[in-house]
Amino acid sequence: MLNKKTEKKPQATNQFNQAVAGNSLTRDAWRRLKKNKMAVISIFIVVIYILLAIAAPILPIYPYDEIVLDHQNLPPSFTQNAGTLLLEKRLADLYTQAWRSGSLEVSEAEEEMLWTWIDANETNKVWDYMLEKGEQMSADGSFTFSATDQRRIERLEEKLMSELKVSIKSLWYTDPISNEREKLSSLTTEQLIDLYLDLSGTDIDTLKDQYTREIEQQLLRGIKDQNPELPDAEYQQMLEREIERLSESRFDSLIKSNILTKITNQIVNDANSHLGQMATDESVLFPVKEEISLNDTISAEVEASRINERIYYLGTDYQGRDMLSRIIYGGQVSIAIGFVGTITSVLIGIILGALAGYLGGKVDYIIMRIVDIMYGLPYMLLVIIAMAIFGRNILNLFFALAIISWLTVSRMVRGQIMSLKNQEFIEAARSMGASTWRIIFKHLVPNSLSVIIVFSTLRIPAFIMTESFLSFLGLGVSAPFASWGSLVGDGVGSMALYPWKLFFPALAMTIFLFAMNFLGDGLRDAFDPQSKNQL
Amino acid sequence: MSDSDMNLKQPILEVKDLKQHFPIESGLLLKKQVGAVRAVDGISFDLLPGETLGIVGESGCGKSTTVRAISQLYTPTSGSVILNGLDLINASKKETLEARKDMQMIFQDPYASLDPRMTVRTIIAEPLEIYKRRGMLDTQMSRNDIENRVEELMERVGLNRAFKNRYPHEFSGGQRQRIGIARALALNPKIILADEPVSALDVSIQSQILNLLHELQQELGLTYIFIAHDLAVIEYISTRVAVMYLGKIMELSRAADPYKNPLHPYTKALLSAAPIPDPVIERKRQRIILTGDVPSPNVERHGCYFYDRCPSRMAKCKENIPQMKRVDEHHEVACFLYE
Amino acid sequence: MKKNTNKGSAPLLDVRNLQTYFKTDEGIVKAVDGISFTLGEGETLGIVGESGSGKSVTNLSIMRLIQSPPGKIVGGQILFEGKDILTLSEKELRHVRGNEISMIFQDPMTSLNPFLRISTQMIETILLHQKMTKKEALKKSIDMLKLVGIPAAEERVHNYPHQFSGGMRQRVMIGMALSCEAKVLIADEPTTALDVTIQAQILELINELAKKLNTAVILITHDLGVVAGMCDTVCVMYAGKIVEKAKTEDLYASPSHPYTFGLIQSVPRLDKAQDGKLYSIEGQPPNVIDLPECCPFHPRCNKKMDICTYKYPPVKKVGENHEVACWLYADEKEKSST
Repeated sequence: MLNKKTEKKPQATNQFNQAVAGNSLTRDAWRRLKKNKMAVISIFIVVIYILLAIAAPILPIYPYDEIVLDHQNLPPSFTQNAGTLLLEKRLADLYTQAWRSGSLEVSEAEEEMLWTWIDANETNKVWDYMLEKGEQMSADGSFTFSATDQRRIERLEEKLMSELKVSIKSLWYTDPISNEREKLSSLTTEQLIDLYLDLSGTDIDTLKDQYTREIEQQLLRGIKDQNPELPDAEYQQMLEREIERLSESRFDSLIKSNILTKITNQIVNDANSHLGQMATDESVLFPVKEEISLNDTISAEVEASRINERIYYLGTDYQGRDMLSRIIYGGQVSIAIGFVGTITSVLIGIILGALAGYLGGKVDYIIMRIVDIMYGLPYMLLVIIAMAIFGRNILNLFFALAIISWLTVSRMVRGQIMSLKNQEFIEAARSMGASTWRIIFKHLVPNSLSVIIVFSTLRIPAFIMTESFLSFLGLGVSAPFASWGSLVGDGVGSMALYPWKLFFPALAMTIFLFAMNFLGDGLRDAFDPQSKNQL
Repeated sequence: MSDSDMNLKQPILEVKDLKQHFPIESGLLLKKQVGAVRAVDGISFDLLPGETLGIVGESGCGKSTTVRAISQLYTPTSGSVILNGLDLINASKKETLEARKDMQMIFQDPYASLDPRMTVRTIIAEPLEIYKRRGMLDTQMSRNDIENRVEELMERVGLNRAFKNRYPHEFSGGQRQRIGIARALALNPKIILADEPVSALDVSIQSQILNLLHELQQELGLTYIFIAHDLAVIEYISTRVAVMYLGKIMELSRAADPYKNPLHPYTKALLSAAPIPDPVIERKRQRIILTGDVPSPNVERHGCYFYDRCPSRMAKCKENIPQMKRVDEHHEVACFLYE
Repeated sequence: MKKNTNKGSAPLLDVRNLQTYFKTDEGIVKAVDGISFTLGEGETLGIVGESGSGKSVTNLSIMRLIQSPPGKIVGGQILFEGKDILTLSEKELRHVRGNEISMIFQDPMTSLNPFLRISTQMIETILLHQKMTKKEALKKSIDMLKLVGIPAAEERVHNYPHQFSGGMRQRVMIGMALSCEAKVLIADEPTTALDVTIQAQILELINELAKKLNTAVILITHDLGVVAGMCDTVCVMYAGKIVEKAKTEDLYASPSHPYTFGLIQSVPRLDKAQDGKLYSIEGQPPNVIDLPECCPFHPRCNKKMDICTYKYPPVKKVGENHEVACWLYADEKEKSST
């Protein structure tokens, strides 16, 4: 035999000296998948969705949970900012009022048209038409607003210009002696209290009274959220018990955050009055970053932007939250539920299905009867009950979905394993003394993996659908969190007036589900080609 | 082959009255045994070191079940399998595992007997890995040792080492069977149980594999139990032959005997049915054509198992089960014709 | 039925230069690559070859049962009673299939519908090809089952396929195949799934019926023993080509192609005790994808010459009705013509 070290890596050739390239089943499947155009497009779409969901916090989008009440139900627009839209809305309203009160005259044909719209409840059209008509009439001088209306418009314009959104980036404390800066939040509670007393000029007892009251209120709110509809006396009792139970450090941190909020509020107020002036002067270009000092020791870095300069590409919802960022964050939740739910249910299903399929006999009997019984239960009811018992949050939703959806997986895996376990290669492994565990996880599961992967891929959309359904019913994700389902659910109520609130989340969801289904189909074709190259 | 000291050797494997019945269950909720498939219904033989016992018979005669029962893939219903003095049926799990290192199997279907998701390397190394993990290897093997052993085995069975990281589906039937053989050899076993190792192969490949098995036996001093339905193959490879029918051994003799001097009517019928690749002989042959099919193994029999199809049956065959009877030193038969 | 199409010494079936290719992801598989043979009335032809040699594809091509895609008959002619099967319309084809040429497969269970009674299936087949009433068809089915040796045929005809054993099922298949008095019976490994004793029964049956009904038989098998007992003529196939074609006696007495020689030698034989090494052909049968232009057998051949590695040998006559495709028998002129 040749010395191994000096020997070149032997070339794999067949008897005709043609080189034989290696090929694994997975590579084979991948090659077939690449030929499937729809599947490849789907992979791209799914990847984009997932990247968007992961990168949501660093994307330049408005916060998904920030409520701007003025910006309720703004339509989607790529060109006009929120201020323009609000102004237009107001103008349309005013023109319509003017028409109704008779100061704006329209022809008889128009009159009739407008009334048919109103009868058909199509107020959107009325507003749009009146806006156009009014603008046109104002331009050629045939209509002018009354003095009051004029003033209203001016005031609104002013407000739109000056309204600022101030957000505090960081709070600093400067030591008067050493001149060293440190974060305000890293100070102790006593230090903070001293600072605040300094700042506000109140005495310690008043402050103590104040924050004790506020913390009690806060705790009470929490209790009321958890146990709605109880008599007040009982709440009082619960609150006392709660306070008794509070540890020293917890109480301390509550005080600290209370004081911090107070300081923050003051800074925001300061910044508003300071920057508001600049906004009306148009002396600076927003957004602006500025450092504001309350006194010698406390300073803050503040970012301010004109809130009405925002452009909502996909409109806003009923609380003025940006639909685009809500759809992206909703996607985060929906996709996460889809993936995590599938993974959990597939893991449970594989283990139980494999055990049932491979061991057979009593184990199989017991597991399969459990599955049968659980199949018999109305699963939606189960989920609803679970959500009702454990409370509405995302984790519980995962859990509730996972415990009902392993059933199908386990049945499928069991069937696969049963058809595989009598194959000779399993007998071979057994005759070599392989343990049950090894046979299941080294031989049986890898060989059913292709089926499991395909099934899981097709399972993800089903999960998202279920989650959406629950959220749609109001049982799933709760505000301020969003999922596609809850967004669609929110949008349905006012779909005639604000169709974008329904359309965009539904579109986002549909595209993703389509892509996942195409991908699943593609994977199935790739793993299990009907005509595997054989004669 | 005709060693004079063969009689003096201790048998390496003894099978005594081995029975393997599979229960037939029925009932909706509570399963009740309503019958049994008597796949192997009481067989006994000894296996001497270095010999090859061929088991021949039609499908359903229990020959595959026999080797599976011996290798403890099934738990036999009764009887004993004594390997190197240890009764595998009553031994502890650990003892069985330890003993079974000496006994490996080769399977019939080269397509089904290799895990399609594993590379050749992993397949051949698997028995080593399993016993290494259990700490039951004779000498500890490092990763490198296993690697070298795999390459050595591949070369020994005539596979190109370059294909070590390939998957089974990239090989032809004959090459896959070589992989199966290499895997069986990995633990240096003493006995190889070969379950129809050549019946799924093409003619030209069949002879390659038979030659390989023959060489390995010479070189490594292996003992084979070799199953086939092809009489010619059995005659070539075996030193002794057992003819099985319906879970019973009908005739047990030295390899050449059933061809020169078949005793049992079933052996005679089998022989005459086997085609011979020579048109001159083939056209002159007088065939014993058996009527009917192999009967169901689900019923308990009180007469000769071959009674239904036997061309020379007698009245007493119906009521009595013939026992194995020694007609000469190396030849036993279970038939009343030779009482 | 037809009187004037089949006259003189014209063979019943004449396959000329048949080529059937399959298109796969890896390349074009030349499963059958230019084979020719003839089958006379009442004759039995054996086609021997290893798996992948194209013997089954040959016969599926004759029935025009090649799945397309991926398969396609790309060239050649299949003349049945003088008509080219490859040019027939679907309707004419249906008449030929079953009525003129019928087929039995390796696994009878795949070609019987498990949900229908044997009687239903047989009557359907008979009525499809022959004009008679249902009653007559049933009677004919029972007769056929009796012919193929099914005991209590009157009752068994109403059974379902699963109620028959493997050998019995194969008998039913043969009965069905012959119920329309086909002129050619193609048997594709009819006994591979059966035991030796049952195999003997079935082969005996086919032989007997072929003589009785004067049916020509094409027997596809890998078992040289079966061929020896059954066939008048044998074609040996290797990698999609016929490498040798001869009368059975000639083939076994003087195999000319090294492959045929090796094949016959490598089978262990009952009648001659052998000790020591069996003769064996080394190497593996080739994968027929993208075969280079050469004799496909040369890597395994012990009489390989230089020319074998780059040119396919011409077909030479080495005796009466004995043809072989091997450079050993080619004359110098042919060898040097490249």
